[in-house]
Amino acid sequence: MNDNNVKIEVKRLHFYYSCGTQALEDISLSVHKNTVTALIGPSGCGKTTFLRCFNRMHDLYPGNRYEGEIWIDKKNILEKDIDHIGLRSKIGMVFQKPTPFPMSIFENIAFGLKLMGIKKKTEIADRVEKALKDAALWEEIGDKLGNFALSLSGGQQQRLCIARAIAVEPEVILMDEPCSALDPIATAKIEDLISELTKRYTVVIVTHNMQQAARVSEYTGFFMMGKLIEFDTTQKIFTAPSNKMTEDYITGRFG
Amino acid sequence: MTTAQVRKLKNGIALTVCTIAAFLGLFWLIFILWDVLVHGIGGLHLSLFMNDPAPPGIEGGGLRNAFVGHLIITFFATLIGVPIGILGGTFLAEYARGRKIARVISVLSDIMVSVPSIVIGTFIYAVIVKPVGHFSGWAGAVALAIIMIPVVLRTTEDMLSLVPWTLREAAFALGAPYYKVIIHVVYRAAAAGILTGILLSIARVVGETAPLLFTSFNNSFFSANMNEPVSSLTVTIFQYAMGPYSNWHSQAWAASLMITLFILVLAVLGRLLLAWRYGKRPTI
Repeated sequence: MNDNNVKIEVKRLHFYYSCGTQALEDISLSVHKNTVTALIGPSGCGKTTFLRCFNRMHDLYPGNRYEGEIWIDKKNILEKDIDHIGLRSKIGMVFQKPTPFPMSIFENIAFGLKLMGIKKKTEIADRVEKALKDAALWEEIGDKLGNFALSLSGGQQQRLCIARAIAVEPEVILMDEPCSALDPIATAKIEDLISELTKRYTVVIVTHNMQQAARVSEYTGFFMMGKLIEFDTTQKIFTAPSNKMTEDYITGRFG
Repeated sequence: MTTAQVRKLKNGIALTVCTIAAFLGLFWLIFILWDVLVHGIGGLHLSLFMNDPAPPGIEGGGLRNAFVGHLIITFFATLIGVPIGILGGTFLAEYARGRKIARVISVLSDIMVSVPSIVIGTFIYAVIVKPVGHFSGWAGAVALAIIMIPVVLRTTEDMLSLVPWTLREAAFALGAPYYKVIIHVVYRAAAAGILTGILLSIARVVGETAPLLFTSFNNSFFSANMNEPVSSLTVTIFQYAMGPYSNWHSQAWAASLMITLFILVLAVLGRLLLAWRYGKRPTI
């Protein structure tokens, strides 16, 4: 492993929810630049909790506590004085259920661009178009940008959310089970899109679907009970896991 | 009688009692609407809206001063009450969400909704009219605004709480500061509900007499000066209905009809808006 290729370095991360439960225990792993890293594991294993540490989403709710370090580009983002707004504009996120804002398709994508301080109308329009093309959505909805975003189908809404996330050109994109609410065709489109995204972005994806992890990712981390059981290349995890629990999970013996 | 027959009988009795009760309630509503319509429609002339009152006892004249005064007072009451109510509701649902103070304020404003409006009238009399030394339109507007605030505040709070958290998280995840999340995303998602709250709160105050009696009082002449006593429909209805002249009575009926229709339209509009936005069947 070349150290220059590491985008995110997690060191001995512990996470506690405000109610006192420890959701993550001593997690260390490295996410490599321009790759897809999949996080798998049974429900409640902490994979989503882990994902939401990268953009400090847990800070929206009082009382949650981190321990350890997450280094993104030589900066420990778990430091107290980190600028959440700046961090989140560099780390995009796509949620489990599509979350289009209650406004037009165009405005949905322009929202993030305006947050970046872009005021020129032509530049916004150009970047909206580019984001929709990158999200493989331009062909379908390029002629109805003024339509209400909620009028789109579920799969289109989710790709709109991806377009919205990549429009601001983040460095990392976090995806929290982005296909779990979608049908197989929409899922296939998004999976194609994810592979395409790695040309420019680093993707971390949480998924319940092991085939999906095998299809889209280069690295896979297997979580259980708040611990990272095994982390390796996807090929290794799915063909020759070194841990018995990983093997049991992958072969469908539990979870 | 068998057990089944007894059950059927009991069911029949319960159904009959409930139906009668429902119709009894509905009966009075329709009776009032019908009565106001029958008595009021005769007094509806263009002159009612175009002319100011004639001297007492003399035929003719209209209630232009009261219509305009009422609109102005309601307008300023809305201007004062709605922003405070919306900002307060936003504080409760967003910034103070889940904190004890939010629950306390919430309960207090529920109590405030049921405070008799005459109490608010006398309160404003004590804190504004007495110190200033005279009745004024402003005092009336403030009194109505105070009645509006808890209504708008609670609806805003409820409507904002209905907006799913994932939507806010999605906006936060793009690097939006909280105030932009609220203004651009949460308000938009709750817009129809908040607007309904505003409409219903206007409907709530537009028929009030007691809070105006001690504050904006009445004015027999046309006045749009909020520093003077300003005429209002409700106080005029009160005064005319008690007066001895039959043309006063018919004008009071006509004014009652207009105000009833106005409230009816606002209320129906509010419900329709809510039904349209939230996809429920209209429950008027």
